[in-house]
Amino acid sequence: MAGAMPRRLRPPEQPITLEVDGHTIHAQDGEPVAVALVAADETLTARSIKYHRPRGPSCFSGACSNCLMRVDGVPNVATCQVPARQGMRVERQNAFPDAKLDVLQATDWVFPKWFNHHTFLAGVPLAEDLLLKIARKLAGLGLLPDRAAPPLPVATVTREPIVIVGAGAAGLAAARCFEAARAPYLVLEKGSAAGGRLLTAAEDGLPPVFDCPPAKLALDSTVVGLFADDGVPYLVVKHGEQLRVIVFDQLLLANGGHPPFAVFENNDLPGIYAARAVSGLLRRHRVLVGDVVACVGDLSEARALASLLTGAGAKAVAVGQTPLKAHGFSRVEALTVRDGPRTAKVDCDAVALCGPPSPAFELGRAAGGKVSWEPKSQLFVLEADAAGRTAASNVWAAGELRGAMSAAAAAEQGLVAAESILAARRSAP
Amino acid sequence: MTKALLCPCEDVTVTEVDHCIAQGYRDIESIKRFTGFGTGMCQGKQCMNAVARHLASSAQPPKPEALLAFTPRPPFVPTEMRQWASLDVSQLAPGGGVPPALGFTEAALKPVAPVKPKAKVVIIGGGIMGLALAWNLTQRGETDVVVLEKGYLCAGASGRNGGGVRMQWGTPSLIHLARRSIDLMERFARDMKINVWLRRGGYLFLAKSDAIVQRLERSAALHNQHGVPTQLLTADGAQEHVPDLSLTGVKAAAWNPKDGVIFPWAFLWGYAQACQKVGVAVETFTKVVGFELGQGRITKVLTDRGEIACDQVVLAAGAWSPSVASLCGVDLPNEPHRHEICSTEPLKPFLGPLVSVLDSGLYFSQSMRGEIVGGMGDPKEPAGMNLGSTSRFLARYSRALLELSPRLGQVKILRQWAGPYDVTPDNSPILGRTKGLSNLLHLHGFVGHGFMMAPAVAERMAAWMATGQSDELFERFELSRFAEGRLEREDMIIG
Repeated sequence: MAGAMPRRLRPPEQPITLEVDGHTIHAQDGEPVAVALVAADETLTARSIKYHRPRGPSCFSGACSNCLMRVDGVPNVATCQVPARQGMRVERQNAFPDAKLDVLQATDWVFPKWFNHHTFLAGVPLAEDLLLKIARKLAGLGLLPDRAAPPLPVATVTREPIVIVGAGAAGLAAARCFEAARAPYLVLEKGSAAGGRLLTAAEDGLPPVFDCPPAKLALDSTVVGLFADDGVPYLVVKHGEQLRVIVFDQLLLANGGHPPFAVFENNDLPGIYAARAVSGLLRRHRVLVGDVVACVGDLSEARALASLLTGAGAKAVAVGQTPLKAHGFSRVEALTVRDGPRTAKVDCDAVALCGPPSPAFELGRAAGGKVSWEPKSQLFVLEADAAGRTAASNVWAAGELRGAMSAAAAAEQGLVAAESILAARRSAP
Repeated sequence: MTKALLCPCEDVTVTEVDHCIAQGYRDIESIKRFTGFGTGMCQGKQCMNAVARHLASSAQPPKPEALLAFTPRPPFVPTEMRQWASLDVSQLAPGGGVPPALGFTEAALKPVAPVKPKAKVVIIGGGIMGLALAWNLTQRGETDVVVLEKGYLCAGASGRNGGGVRMQWGTPSLIHLARRSIDLMERFARDMKINVWLRRGGYLFLAKSDAIVQRLERSAALHNQHGVPTQLLTADGAQEHVPDLSLTGVKAAAWNPKDGVIFPWAFLWGYAQACQKVGVAVETFTKVVGFELGQGRITKVLTDRGEIACDQVVLAAGAWSPSVASLCGVDLPNEPHRHEICSTEPLKPFLGPLVSVLDSGLYFSQSMRGEIVGGMGDPKEPAGMNLGSTSRFLARYSRALLELSPRLGQVKILRQWAGPYDVTPDNSPILGRTKGLSNLLHLHGFVGHGFMMAPAVAERMAAWMATGQSDELFERFELSRFAEGRLEREDMIIG
């Protein structure tokens, strides 16, 4: 049933072509490569590391391995994070003879439940030597890069009084507060535009995107680490292909979470997406992931997504139900769901997983913040007090990093944290 | 085939995690190590919450406060080595590190039941030294043994090393121990029924200065005398073993094809499981808090889960040994030194040997999973227990590695961590008795190479303890040598 409708709802304004395993596909200049692949209905992008199971783009957040491909001779590139450029060479990896029909998928059948790498052939003379040789041959994902890349210029070191990580609902609300107070600040946003879920989510009641002055907003700026080599914390930020070091006085973490992930049978089939990937593809890129989309998980989000999809001409099924098993050979074709006491198998060509993201607590933990398990939401969250202060000195947190919440609630937390930062700056000697 | 994945990056299924929990590895750090979940390209972003949820809904769910996320390892996004190499090292001070405190001794994970009140032998430290000794004691009929480990299995240096195993040492004692260890490692899977993935890709030591060339010449002669087939090579000769590396500036190399790389964690699980089968108590998340002394002996080991009366105590706590020894008034000369290490994204095999540049302390190899795993010592690193990670290390390591392998420039670092070298004044271990405290035995001070020595040392020590026959090893390396000025200097230390 796949491909009955065009995936791209409007033609590219700046059309380019990419080469995918030697085939040409059309794309919009600058959109993520994985968006172009989904738009071209090329949803099988990778083979998994052990069982060579088919994989396709799913999180659109750089938080999974399903869209890793070799791009212009560089292995394991997250294609959902890389802008498409004319003539780009994109290749699938880790397959023989090719990813669409990979004979190494036999391992998936030889080990139907799992492969016990600890005990398989352990200590069996000769067989263990053979296992070692085979395992070595099959290991790894991509091949070494084609060539030595030129060295990069020395990373700059700058000092910014207030740094906000993430230009989503919480981060932008804080930025607006700092702007009004004429406080010096810089927002670091990993995406190519400010807004976060304000641009991608299907959620009702999204606040408007604050138009942050360009001088205060660093786009394409991913914080890759928070370090404290000499005891004073600083951020290491990847801006395009360069690194920069930013020392801060106060840090507001508003970097949200990683897309939700649900565990059910064949939950790794191509065509299964995080809900915000589905709504984001539609809202930002006018790309529809399927004709019939199962919107499973959190009911209110599923309803909002269903209405967005229906408005674009797609059909939403299994809205708010619980996924039990995905069906399909190399992409999802149907989904068994539980709806109250009943189970049902519904045909679909895409699945959207609705639910709260997993808080991205890595930076907060590196700074010395406390991460704890919240039984109610079943999430690890970064702890903060009512004013947004974390256990780490000079580090505040706001938004989905602290748990599941609406964009409006995240914006409120961003504002409260910003006021607390301003108060701290006023009382500083 | 139908599978439900908990960690798609590493293809870890629900069945596999359930098996892991059934084996007794129930905390998230242990599940990560036993199944490999969270060690793939997403670095835990997709799977960590899913595994925690799975645990929370299991038959015996942990208390919420005992559900602890594994420590996220920088960088938090896979980041190219040429990018790390662009940091200005002169601006990055040694010391420091993140996260500020490592939490592998969380009280929430401590078992509720008390430890057994009495045992013949108490071994402090559940790293490879302690566990290998416990297993060797059981082979000599002694099973009344308790092993105390303050964290999870693999929390200490045994779980933090690069897995290199080599015979190329600078003193006959260590050469012989290493040879025996590697023989035992080769048999380990047969004895313990757990794969250790020993890959004999050789060790290639590179020298860039005349002084280091001379050191390699000296040690190669010693190796050959003691049956180790080390060859001295020219740069061209070395190139044949590493065709993808650029050996500009290399003057000579030492090569032993029989050295290799192994998967360290399997030894801890293998020894621990074999010990538990015959009744040895391996107590994880259990901390020694003091000792009871009487008549020049230790009478009881005090833990945070109760006291254990015992005949003998073996201190095998690696770099933590000095702090434990101080609890019974014994002053050890060891000092912990942090050594950082990192791992890249998995690549298809291209590098056979473990390569080390003795001049800089750089070493790296390709693991069975395809990652480039390596580290580099930092001469400016201050002494002290610090397991934090630094950007200085990533910058220094990337610069040094890219000199040898420019094609790794766009290969991404996935995670970094640190382990403590247990450094002694002469770089040799501390073994045997304690003057003035007759039943405290030492098994530590291996200066970052204890992992590869452990199987052989533990075998000798168990024989020595069980038979009472003298063994020169336990006299030569006695603690008293420092006071008596009998040092045993070892100079083939890397990292």
